[in-house]
Amino acid sequence: MSVVEAKNAVFGYQGRAIVRVECLQVHAGQCLGVFGPNGSGKTTLVRGLSGLIPPMAGSVQRSGTLRMGYVQQHRSMDLQWPMTALDAASIAVSSRRPFGWMSSHARRGIVEAMVTLEVSDLSERHFASLSGGQQQRVLLAGALAAQPELLILDEPTEGLDVRSRRILLRALSEAEKNGLATIMISHAIDDLASLSDEVVWFHEGEHEGEPSRVEVMAVDSLVERVLKLRQTA
Amino acid sequence: MKSLSEYWELVELLTTSLATAAAVAVGGSQVGTFVLTRKEGLAALALPQVVAVGVAVALREGWPPIWPAIVAAGAAVLALGWSKQRGANHWVLPSLYVAGLSVSFLVIANAGAHVEEMQQRFTGIDVAVDVQTAMVVVPVVLGAGLLTSLLWRRWVAIAQAPAMAELAGLKPARWDIAFLCLLTTVLLFGTAALGAVMVLAMLFLPAATALPWAKRMPGALWIGGVLGLLFLAAGFVISVEMEWPLSHSVSGTGVAAMGISYIAYQVRQLTLRKSPV
Repeated sequence: MSVVEAKNAVFGYQGRAIVRVECLQVHAGQCLGVFGPNGSGKTTLVRGLSGLIPPMAGSVQRSGTLRMGYVQQHRSMDLQWPMTALDAASIAVSSRRPFGWMSSHARRGIVEAMVTLEVSDLSERHFASLSGGQQQRVLLAGALAAQPELLILDEPTEGLDVRSRRILLRALSEAEKNGLATIMISHAIDDLASLSDEVVWFHEGEHEGEPSRVEVMAVDSLVERVLKLRQTA
Repeated sequence: MKSLSEYWELVELLTTSLATAAAVAVGGSQVGTFVLTRKEGLAALALPQVVAVGVAVALREGWPPIWPAIVAAGAAVLALGWSKQRGANHWVLPSLYVAGLSVSFLVIANAGAHVEEMQQRFTGIDVAVDVQTAMVVVPVVLGAGLLTSLLWRRWVAIAQAPAMAELAGLKPARWDIAFLCLLTTVLLFGTAALGAVMVLAMLFLPAATALPWAKRMPGALWIGGVLGLLFLAAGFVISVEMEWPLSHSVSGTGVAAMGISYIAYQVRQLTLRKSPV
């Protein structure tokens, strides 16, 4: 069952088309990898698929009242804010609650997700004092506790230590088995290969100012294509 | 040094002014905590300048100042909201600050009495709060502070994870405007009653003193409120003993406390780094 389907869709900003999609589906329980160089339109594509920007042409359909979550890179967090790991993990759940107020039940759910990501013992620690890997796991725990049907991950393993990366990928893999659909932007081919079912590849526009075109391929084809590109480079 | 009975007499004489200042200390410090964490300091400085344009027009035309001040504040909030959405606040905010500073005095140029009144409103020197003003300002400023602190998780989400918040159905741009409205309310009512110096001091200094030490937002808000009241009490004593203006004595106390807090925090960080694990 597809949770998001884009057909002949064009996404962009202020009248400027950035990325074009002929047909793309995101299915429940599957991961769609998004791979491409900087400036190719990865973020624009993800914003378009999630509904944060409307398509300039074509259509995007999302199933019913799709609950979506987003896991940003830990580096984008402002560490000047005084907050514990539990506060940071609570952001996703509190965003969905009236006035951001949290119940003890909601808090329990977050702690449970933190146990899965092996960061529950850090819950009272200052978020800024955690390592990058611990911060990223805290953010993922919070996002999973909000029980999304579609989770968007923006380079979640970038700069992570081996242990954090392993725990994070394992948690995502388990969540997928439980029906979670994910879209993962990543430059790490290993991670895409271990988690994704299909990967989006960006072709540059043929002429200047033309939007880049999206090709959806099996993850094995991505590995082959990247190896070929490296050999010819 | 004055005796306790002399202090008691002064407190009785200045009850409404001190009660209003206490409300600004508590309410202002709550809003101020988020002004600093959201990095909206320049907006907090620019808003009173823009409000001053409305007040100057009112003085010139002989109108009551509140409505022109509200209109000017509303226009400023819209301009700030617009500029933030378009990523233009790096030039809009300083421009508003300079424009407000210049235009407010140009409007009343060559009218000595009005110029003096404007200066008093800004500096807070020789300002006394009457009971009617206090009855309006105290609940409004406390209410704005309370609302800001109750919504602390919302401000965290909008600032830290705007994309996640948007996917959860929130409108970050609207919440930004809501915060600017709360900030404007404190600035508008606080400045009208006590002058800009007191309000800006209570917005920035308790929060700046508390934030390095706070582990969580609720803690920062509590400490900020208590520090605001302590700065007011200490500033009051200094102003009485030295015969200095209250607003400036409170600001001076706050600046000193903030400096000590910053140095102490740096020393603590150095000690922690050097201590064996």
